[in-house]
Amino acid sequence: MKSILQASKISKTYGMKGAATYTAIQDLSFSMNEGEFIGIMGPSGSGKTTLLNMVATLDPMTSGEISIDGVSISSMNEDQLSDFRSEKLGFIFQDFNLLENMTVFENISLPLSLQNTKLEKIQASVSQVSRLLGISDLTEKYPAELSGGQKQRTAIARALIHQPALLLADEPTGALDSRNAATLLETLADLNEDRKVSIMMVTHDPRSASYCSRLLFIKDGKLDRELRSRGSREEFHQEILTVLGDLDRRPVAGVRA
Amino acid sequence: MITKLALNGLKRKQRDYIILFTGLIISIAVFYMFLTMSLNKEFITQNSVINNIQSVFLVGTVMLSVITFFYLFYTNSFLLSLRKKEFGLYELIGAKKFQIRRVFQIETMAITAISLVIGLTLGILLSLLVSWLLMNGLNVEFTQFKIIYLPAVFWTMIYFLLVSFITSSVHNMRLAKSSIIDLLRSEVQNDIVPEKPKSAVLQIFLGVLLLGIGYFALYFMEQLRFIGLFTAPVATTLGTYLLFVALLPVIVRKWKRNKTVNFKGINSFTSGQLSFRLSNLKWVLATIAMLIALSAGAIAGGFAFKNNAFTSIDEYWQYDTTLYNPGAAETELLNSIPLEEQLTFRFKLDDETMYFVREELVATPPLVKDWVTYDVMRPGSLPENLEIEDGYQIVPDTWMSALETVNPALFGTRNSHIVPLIEYERAGGEEISVMLARTNDFAAHMEKWQELARLQESTYTALFAGFDPETDSVATKYAQFETQYAIASGTFFMGFFLGLAFLTMMASILMFKILSGANNDIRRYDSLRKLGVRRRLLENSIHREILIVFLFPGVLGLLHVLVGMRMFSFIMDDPYYRLWVSLLIFLAIYGGYYFFTVHLYRKIVLPRQ
Ligand SMILES: Nc1ncnc2c1ncn2[C@@H]1O[C@H](COP(=O)(O)OP(=O)(O)OP(=O)(O)O)[C@@H](O)[C@H]1O
Ligand SMILES: [Mg+2]
Repeated sequence: MKSILQASKISKTYGMKGAATYTAIQDLSFSMNEGEFIGIMGPSGSGKTTLLNMVATLDPMTSGEISIDGVSISSMNEDQLSDFRSEKLGFIFQDFNLLENMTVFENISLPLSLQNTKLEKIQASVSQVSRLLGISDLTEKYPAELSGGQKQRTAIARALIHQPALLLADEPTGALDSRNAATLLETLADLNEDRKVSIMMVTHDPRSASYCSRLLFIKDGKLDRELRSRGSREEFHQEILTVLGDLDRRPVAGVRA
Repeated sequence: MITKLALNGLKRKQRDYIILFTGLIISIAVFYMFLTMSLNKEFITQNSVINNIQSVFLVGTVMLSVITFFYLFYTNSFLLSLRKKEFGLYELIGAKKFQIRRVFQIETMAITAISLVIGLTLGILLSLLVSWLLMNGLNVEFTQFKIIYLPAVFWTMIYFLLVSFITSSVHNMRLAKSSIIDLLRSEVQNDIVPEKPKSAVLQIFLGVLLLGIGYFALYFMEQLRFIGLFTAPVATTLGTYLLFVALLPVIVRKWKRNKTVNFKGINSFTSGQLSFRLSNLKWVLATIAMLIALSAGAIAGGFAFKNNAFTSIDEYWQYDTTLYNPGAAETELLNSIPLEEQLTFRFKLDDETMYFVREELVATPPLVKDWVTYDVMRPGSLPENLEIEDGYQIVPDTWMSALETVNPALFGTRNSHIVPLIEYERAGGEEISVMLARTNDFAAHMEKWQELARLQESTYTALFAGFDPETDSVATKYAQFETQYAIASGTFFMGFFLGLAFLTMMASILMFKILSGANNDIRRYDSLRKLGVRRRLLENSIHREILIVFLFPGVLGLLHVLVGMRMFSFIMDDPYYRLWVSLLIFLAIYGGYYFFTVHLYRKIVLPRQ
């Protein structure tokens, strides 16, 4: 198995040089293989978004080393990071982050436009990926004219069109109802299964997490636990619920005697 | 409590307010300056030269006050729209409507008051500057002129406070009518998806047609007269609005349809931004195009008018100076000027008649202008026998002009007779000699002409009974130039500052319109950054987008000016005189606003490096 992501001893401290510093991630290490679907779980404020943002090269880390697809990101300058993001990464955000001033087609094609792809190739790719996600009828609409689920599928299409090495998602189901959320996760799981897209997803929701192949539990900026899916999704769901219950019951330092 | 909350809200929107009120402050300053120039009583009655400037500045005051009224009305409605959501929240937490209305009114009046303090200070400095420039330009001393003139301060304050009271009351009534929900929602519905143009072809055709008619009327104003004066502004304005409403969306749409370009880099984002912005701003942009035309026109008009003082004076006067009984001082001074021609004539005058020597006139006929062909020439042969009817001698028109040229000060006060030398010597009355002199450049020796005019004052007092150099003047080229130039300089400054005020008002509206939408754009630029768009590309996109928003009204407005200046050709020789200077001034100010807008916008939407 080829390793797609390697994070070793990464830390993130907010508020450098100031009086009040806060360490959100501390000496965290993990790796991810190509084709894995990793979920990141943990209580609010535990550092999930911080971790994802560092992997996404949006937020520089304080110390440690991350390499994605064999490339170390800590030594790159801002332009190189931009290019790296546009070529290797795909993003899905909780609030979709579609550009409301552009049509669905323009939104989806943006990553390819950025790489100055030929128009014919762009058109072919957009129609392929929008068919895959069931939004081929909507391409000339503006985001304001779409439902939440349609927006999210557009966001996924945009994240996939340039065939990124790694797809990153921060609570992608946060703004969706349970039916739309299920559809979305099935889509992600299918993509992972059929096209071997590597996915890393932050989630709160145990049901969403059950679609993953492996789960990392983060607590106070450290890796607390790891869980692999072995059996069916329902079994994994139960397992997650048990672990979460465990974690909840475990005393938190200084809070409970 | 509400007042305190509102004050905090005000602080948060500080930037928007400052942008909007730079226009107001400049307007107040210019308004005060105009009023000071036109109301300063002592200054006006003491200076005969300056007398005429008063009305020029009064006209400027009226024009400025009309535009300012609309500007204030407009900005006040912006203010309300900025605060609507906040006011809705206050109402939600239990504030009474009347309390909110009072807050809004007090706020508006307070802003006006602050602007007045700054504006009046600036206005006083401006009056100092303009009066100083006028004094130097006209070579006169304004001994009685008051820079801080209380009546002007008073009227400026009254006008601006009154207008802001009226506009805020009108908007208060609107505020009173809107429900909480309206208020709370008002900020959300910012970007409307641009609608598909329905009758765009027809509208564009109509727009071009109207603009054509307007331009035609401007161009042939001299022939069309009243019809033109009415048609030109109406047709041009309507055409401008139609074009902006119909043509702009079509242009962006066309651009977007070129897919190879649109899907390169972030072009699709830039064009998307533009199509939203242009369809949101089309009315504002059309208004700005008209205001640009007005402001650049005012600057260029004043400039051309000032130049006209030089060119038109040469049209009427062939000789640069006419000296009566020149003494040694005058002759000496005259010798220091490189002259093209110098002529001397004599005449005698009694109570009814002035006698000129035929031989002298025929020997050296002076240059005159033929008012039929507009050619400058020397009069042709003089008929032997000149008939006299009722004391009035009949001479050819060109010779009549020659007599006026020779003796401009007294021409028309008595009958002029051209008589042979023998007869002249027999005639009684006082003899006066006149010296005419001409250079190839009147404007180059202005100080000499002024000195000659001063030297002549004693001669005038001696020659003409009751002549008082303080109040009277003799018709000479220099005297006429002085008056004409004073009016022209006044008009120049008036036009310049009127244009400046218009320009700052409209540029601040445009800047405000762009920046107030910037908060919605933060997320968009953030998304793009996350998607891996390089910062340079984002900055380029911002530059291009705002450039195009500035460009459209700028280009159309300047086109209006280029055509419209022609309108002045019936009062000026060369309305296009050094138009490029005015255009350069305009471009500098407008360009400055563009770069400042880009800078602020970038600061809002892009994270710090
Ligand atoms: N820009 C920042 N400056 C300072 N502290 C920050 C910043 N961003 C996050 N933090 C802190 O870092 C910690 C981790 O934040 P993070 O956003 O990663 O949490 P999370 O696990 O994503 O939480 P949630 O589930 O609520 O989204 C929090 O305690 C937060 O207060
Ligand atoms: Mg988070």
